[in-house]
Amino acid sequence: MIRKVLSILLILMLFQPLGFAQEARLANIIVTNTRDHLLVYMSVQGAFREEIKKAIISGVPVSFVYFIELRRERNFLPDEDMAEIKAIHTVKYDNLKKEFSIKRSWETGEPSITKSFDQARKLMTEIDSLKVIPLAELKRGTQYQLRAKAELSERTLPFYLHYVLFFVSLWDFETDWYSIDFIY
Amino acid sequence: MSRSKAIASLPSLPEEERRRRKREIIIIFVVIVLVSMMTYAENRIIHFGSGFPISNTILMFILININLLLLLLLIFLVFRNLVKLIYDRRRKVMGSKLRTKLAVAFISLTLLPTTILFFFSINFITTSIEFWFNVPVEQALENSLSVGRNVYERAEENHRFFLERIAYQIKTKKLLASKKTEALSRYIQVVQRAFNIDAIEVYATNADRLAVSQTADLNPSVLSFVSADNLQKELPDGSVRSFSEKIAGGELVRTIGTIPFGADGADVRAFVVLTLSFPPGLSENMASISRGFEAYQQIKLLKKPIQATYYITLSIVALLVLFCSIWFGFYLAKSITIPIMELDKGTRRVAEGDLRFSINRMADDEMGSLVDSFNKMTKDLRHGREQLELSAHMLRQQNIEIEERRQYIEIVLKNVSAGVITLDAQGLVATMNTSAEKMLDMKSARIINRSYSKLLAGQHLKLADDIMERFNQSDEDTVELSLRVTISGRPRSFMAHFTALKDDAGRHMGIVMVFDDLTDLEKAQRMAAWREVARRIAHEVKNPLTPITLSAQRLQRKYSGRLNEPVFEECTRMIIDQVESIRNLVNEFSMFARFPTAHPEPCNLPPIIEEAQAVYREGHPDIHFEIRVSDQVPSLNLDHRQIKQAIINLLDNAISAMKGKGTITITVTHDPILKRVRLEVADTGPGISDDDKTRLFEPYFSTKKSGMGLGLTIVNTIIEDHNGMIGVRNNQPQGAKFVIELPV
Repeated sequence: MIRKVLSILLILMLFQPLGFAQEARLANIIVTNTRDHLLVYMSVQGAFREEIKKAIISGVPVSFVYFIELRRERNFLPDEDMAEIKAIHTVKYDNLKKEFSIKRSWETGEPSITKSFDQARKLMTEIDSLKVIPLAELKRGTQYQLRAKAELSERTLPFYLHYVLFFVSLWDFETDWYSIDFIY
Repeated sequence: MSRSKAIASLPSLPEEERRRRKREIIIIFVVIVLVSMMTYAENRIIHFGSGFPISNTILMFILININLLLLLLLIFLVFRNLVKLIYDRRRKVMGSKLRTKLAVAFISLTLLPTTILFFFSINFITTSIEFWFNVPVEQALENSLSVGRNVYERAEENHRFFLERIAYQIKTKKLLASKKTEALSRYIQVVQRAFNIDAIEVYATNADRLAVSQTADLNPSVLSFVSADNLQKELPDGSVRSFSEKIAGGELVRTIGTIPFGADGADVRAFVVLTLSFPPGLSENMASISRGFEAYQQIKLLKKPIQATYYITLSIVALLVLFCSIWFGFYLAKSITIPIMELDKGTRRVAEGDLRFSINRMADDEMGSLVDSFNKMTKDLRHGREQLELSAHMLRQQNIEIEERRQYIEIVLKNVSAGVITLDAQGLVATMNTSAEKMLDMKSARIINRSYSKLLAGQHLKLADDIMERFNQSDEDTVELSLRVTISGRPRSFMAHFTALKDDAGRHMGIVMVFDDLTDLEKAQRMAAWREVARRIAHEVKNPLTPITLSAQRLQRKYSGRLNEPVFEECTRMIIDQVESIRNLVNEFSMFARFPTAHPEPCNLPPIIEEAQAVYREGHPDIHFEIRVSDQVPSLNLDHRQIKQAIINLLDNAISAMKGKGTITITVTHDPILKRVRLEVADTGPGISDDDKTRLFEPYFSTKKSGMGLGLTIVNTIIEDHNGMIGVRNNQPQGAKFVIELPV
């Protein structure tokens, strides 16, 4: 009996985070181009769970990290890495002024400030017209692959709690790698 | 060289060593797999965060892994023992019940406090956490935050009010016209002073600052230009938008409004920005309130995870305690039951007779001393048994020796010519040897263990009692007696020695009687005496007989014619006859006296018989002689003359008995088994009475009127000299039969 209970406990502990990670996913990945640049659009879905919302409202800065890689596919040889981009979206709620401040690493200028949570979520979960690579670096008629994934990895909880919360995963997520093949 | 040695020695590894190595490899493999799995799982579960040093992370992983490994090992041990216990109980292995009891006792003893402590701790933690979060800190923080928010809101509200007035005045007075720049500046300064606003700026739609007015307290350098982006941002419903800027001397709250007020898009002709400066203390305090509220909110957010962590940790510790106690229970039970099982096994083995069994000492406690005692007991028993076996062996040896000696003595007694009879202290016959049996013509079985007082009667009993009396009354140990008794109707003469048996302490143990049959010796002595007598008589009596006979014959010759007296005639004849009779008598004496010692030599019996009967065949025509000689009669060691004499005597007797008429049958047979030749002389005379038969061979016994009765005595003597024997029995249907047996 004890053994059974313990087994169930261990299994729960092992698979709980995996289960959460599977919920978040990347969607609407679109690769397009301007006259000079290859652009990418995407959004992450299922990442803003209630816990994350609570955490943000509590003033915890939350960062989503987007990994975007462009590879040139080659026969018989490893694919060539053309570009690797790490985009970080960070949201911080100011309780005093009741406004969300969202900083997107790939955007220049001041952080976006909004009082609307939906707006803040939109800014956090979407990547619009992110310049991946100048078109000049791509060869026409070649097949390329764009891979992307998103994760929430860095928590900014008080340091001492890290010792306490060994066995409790809060709201981490990590999507699988999503890829799109295209010929320029 | 050493390598080749090592390779050569590999196959010769003992089986146990090989198994041990194999087991170690498996354990190492399992541990590696387990550690990998656990590290992976921990990596998925536990996040130390980016601020956690790498060395600490590794250390934590190692510690957690070790703990988990130990926990797994403990769980494995406990379940292994449990399964083994259940299996043992089903198989009814000795000690399993005790082990179960001990394990259950330990589990119960531990389960109760552990459970109580566990639930108490859970409750305590829950209550504590609830208590921490129940304290009205949150409300206070929220109120503080609300105060802070009010400050900002109030500032914005004021700005909204002023902005509306200013926008209206500027619009109404058309101060945005390019020619009225100075007027705008003046108006701004007036308003700034009138409304006591820290700074008022007017921006064109292209973000050019058209006018600015600020208090002297505000450092002009901190008042930065509002960017076009910022100005162009959509204004919320309130038609004003505030933003704050951190500066060295505190915080600036800046509110943007449009001219005309609340205009949108293309209707906007200019922007007015009002700035309120918060002193550093206020700004910092509000930030602090915000931080405190956030920190509290974050901790509140972690309430459940912290609770869960505590529960899990407590559960793990409780389980650890439980497993430890179970395992310890098993261990303790094992340390008790294994020696008990060993003792049981040992006892059974000892009961089966295996005293070489010893138990290995497993502990230094009471069980150990019990095991020691058991081993000592078996050792002592073993020594005792060895001693017993040795003693038994020695006893057997002694018994064998005694038996040999007894047999030897028995054989000696059996073969000694003297008769030996022993009586025990109670007068019961203890032993009787073969010679005694023969001499007394009785079986020992009939008298053994019977008292002499019941065996003897009359004068014999009296004699025995006398002897006993003599032993009792005197210190004599030996009594010698000459006894004459009739055994089986024959008078026998014995020389008996009675010796009292005494042990070393002088106690009476019985009597031994040793006796010799002196009958034959006496007979021989008598015979010798008789011969001497006969020789003297023959010598003394024979000499005067011839002159007497001659004198009588002379008287007869001289005076018979003259006297013609019948009395004279009768008297002389009588004298002569009687003298003749005396001569015969003397001759017989003489012959008996001169009887020589036999000189046997090999010769055949039948011719001797022929010779003897030839003497009588002619003289007795009425007697029929019949000689039957069986085949294969071997030659014997015989004194020809004496044997012939014996046969003549027998024939003489037979003829006399038959009174000159009848049949004499002489039969010679050979018994190869007994190695004897039997000679039978049978007549058809009147036979011999049973009384006479007993005395027949004694000297001077005769049924005849003439003769000294020495004939059969001589025959007996001759046959005895030849180591033979003679007997007499009735002849069927009539007469007597003498049977002579001679050794081949």
